[in-house]
Amino acid sequence: MTVSRTTLPRRPPRRSSPPPPDSPPSNRVRALRRLRDRKVSGWLFLLPLVLFNLFVILIPSAYSVWYSFTDWTGISDRANFVGLENYRNLLDDPEFVQGLIHNVLWTLFFLVVPMTMGLFGAYALSRVSRFRLLFRTLYFIPYIVASVVNASIWRSILDPQQGFGDLLRINPLGDPEIALWSVEFVNNWAWWGFLVVVFLAAMQGVSPSLYEAATMDGASATRQFFSVTLPAIRPTFAFLGLMTIIWSFLAFDYVYILTQGGPAGSTDLLSTVAYRNAFSNLQGGYASATGIVMALISGAAVTGYLIVRRAREWET
Amino acid sequence: MDSITRRRFIGAGGALGMTTLLGACASPGWNGSGDVITMWNNLSDARQNDYFRRHFAEGYHGNYPVQFSPKADSTIDRLIQTALAAGSGPTIIVTPGPSSFVSSYWQAGYLADLGPYAEHYGWREKFAPWALAASEVDGTLVTLPASYETMVFYSNPATLEKLGLEEPTTREEFEAFCAEAHGKGYVPLAAGNADYKGANEWFVGLALNHGAGPEAVYSALSGETKWTDPIFIEAIDRMASYFRRGWFGGGVGLYFTNNFPTVYQQLASGKAAGMLSGTWDFPNLAAYFGKEAGNDATWQWATVPSLGDHVPAIVWDLAIGQSAGVNTNFPSTGAAVDYLNFFTTDLGNIIRSIEEMNFAPPPVHMAASDFSARADPRIVKLYSVLSAAKSIGYTTWTFFPQQTETYMIDYFENVITDRLSAQDYCEGIQSRFARESSEGRVPAAPRPGGLS
Repeated sequence: MTVSRTTLPRRPPRRSSPPPPDSPPSNRVRALRRLRDRKVSGWLFLLPLVLFNLFVILIPSAYSVWYSFTDWTGISDRANFVGLENYRNLLDDPEFVQGLIHNVLWTLFFLVVPMTMGLFGAYALSRVSRFRLLFRTLYFIPYIVASVVNASIWRSILDPQQGFGDLLRINPLGDPEIALWSVEFVNNWAWWGFLVVVFLAAMQGVSPSLYEAATMDGASATRQFFSVTLPAIRPTFAFLGLMTIIWSFLAFDYVYILTQGGPAGSTDLLSTVAYRNAFSNLQGGYASATGIVMALISGAAVTGYLIVRRAREWET
Repeated sequence: MDSITRRRFIGAGGALGMTTLLGACASPGWNGSGDVITMWNNLSDARQNDYFRRHFAEGYHGNYPVQFSPKADSTIDRLIQTALAAGSGPTIIVTPGPSSFVSSYWQAGYLADLGPYAEHYGWREKFAPWALAASEVDGTLVTLPASYETMVFYSNPATLEKLGLEEPTTREEFEAFCAEAHGKGYVPLAAGNADYKGANEWFVGLALNHGAGPEAVYSALSGETKWTDPIFIEAIDRMASYFRRGWFGGGVGLYFTNNFPTVYQQLASGKAAGMLSGTWDFPNLAAYFGKEAGNDATWQWATVPSLGDHVPAIVWDLAIGQSAGVNTNFPSTGAAVDYLNFFTTDLGNIIRSIEEMNFAPPPVHMAASDFSARADPRIVKLYSVLSAAKSIGYTTWTFFPQQTETYMIDYFENVITDRLSAQDYCEGIQSRFARESSEGRVPAAPRPGGLS
């Protein structure tokens, strides 16, 4: 049954007696006005999120900074201030230095290989009209599958005795010379499809008239890619580059599942070094210092990005 | 019904948000209740978990019920550490031996002093003295040994017969055994650490106890000599050379990628001539040998061969595979200790679990006569012999301090891949051991041959 809106009993207008003309508004009225003020109500709506952020991110982060200056074990509530000792020890720690080098290699790999694959994959996909959704879904599936599942599947595939490794007569995860690249390969397999989807979305935002004009000028598909597509999606490209740097320094799961940082530390990243120090060596303060250094590196990357973005006046 | 005003909506939303946040920040307490004894344990599979629940949790009839929660091998220590730091955790705190985390937990105040209960429950008479001594920190009993184990040489008799080999007892025999098997295209010793990096320390321990000898190890553990002594460097170097010759797992690279099912399968299928591992593998082998695996393969064990000059032919590497203590946060320490006593000393339950599940028992006194006829004679033999063992070795996860142990695990890979010399490796051990020793973190070790 439908009821006409006009048949519904109308609520009587709320009557409020206006304050006397010359008297100042009461406290209640002033509070109501403030509440109606967009800024105040906006903050009120944000309050739960701010509180959540405070308890879940800001306070633990502040603790991490504090612990990085202490000898905290990670399990005790006692922590003695040791100044910069943890940071000084980091510089002399071959595991930290090795992890840092691996992180830099990891970042370079992910800035080059999946970004290139993602760009060209998206561009190729943008040129086809049939089965685009199917391809996009297929590319995206590895990204949404849990890393533990992906890694376990690839561990079997790369097995040197019965898998792909046997076929190629190599041991991708057991040879210290190639283990890091092998883990990166597996992680990239799950990652690049995501980049394809994001780049494709950005490419679909490029005005078709630009391509039409380029076609009329006789530009080939390759020329159109470099002269039209790439400049148009530059902000997305830069943003994903930034996120790649940040995520590369946070990489952990694939390494931990596939090799646990081995063999012989050849796949150790800063995150696995910090994890081992925190949970195996019970050096929570030292692990916190490692985490702070990782955060500082990410912070530097974000700052660099913001400076470039401001200089180039990118919109995103 | 009154309509909801914006003010009420905002107020209710704020209250809900605050309640959620405060609830999340509050201590979660005892996983829901303070009147249940909680126990987290890391067993191999669902069958073992089910058995443990029925016999070691529901089978206890004390003042408090026991709630058992199975955890994965790879995560249990992290879960316990995180829970303890958050003011929670299980009532019974388990660690993979007295070396691992026990002294840190004790110093942080998470473990109850079990000393006052020792006399009441007669632990000095029930447990092997070395095991109780190793469970003390600064002279205080803080855990009980919940399982004990030793390293043995496993073989598949059919494979040995095919190869015309016998279990080796000396270094010469061992090297000849491996060279012969390798030469015939067999994997001399099934091994791999893909599932558990800690497997590295089993072989470091073998190098030290069977290559350098228990007297030398005891001397370094007690601080009389250093780990940089040539006897240790030689022993480590020799063990690493065995790896590099492809005797363990078929090659260094394969050792890093072999997981446990592959290792057991190699032994069962006859691809490997032998296996050096711990007695904790007794329950794991059942799935690969005999009726359960759909084959007629069998396994047998022998003592680890001597791998050095002047090292006794038989050395039992003593290990406490699991230590268990009581969380100080539990409201009734006495009740928790009563359960701990049941868990570690109820002989009927323990014998039954060996017979039915091949569980590794606590180091309580056992004789062959304690077992029924249905018990696996291989296992009866082991625990009967082990109870009377005199010549002992020292496993890294029982007698070495935490950070030294972690270093030994991680950097042994560098030695076998030729990225670190045995000398540098031993210097790394010495520097960490000296620091932890000065902090009083080295568990007490019995003298070699001092078990009687």
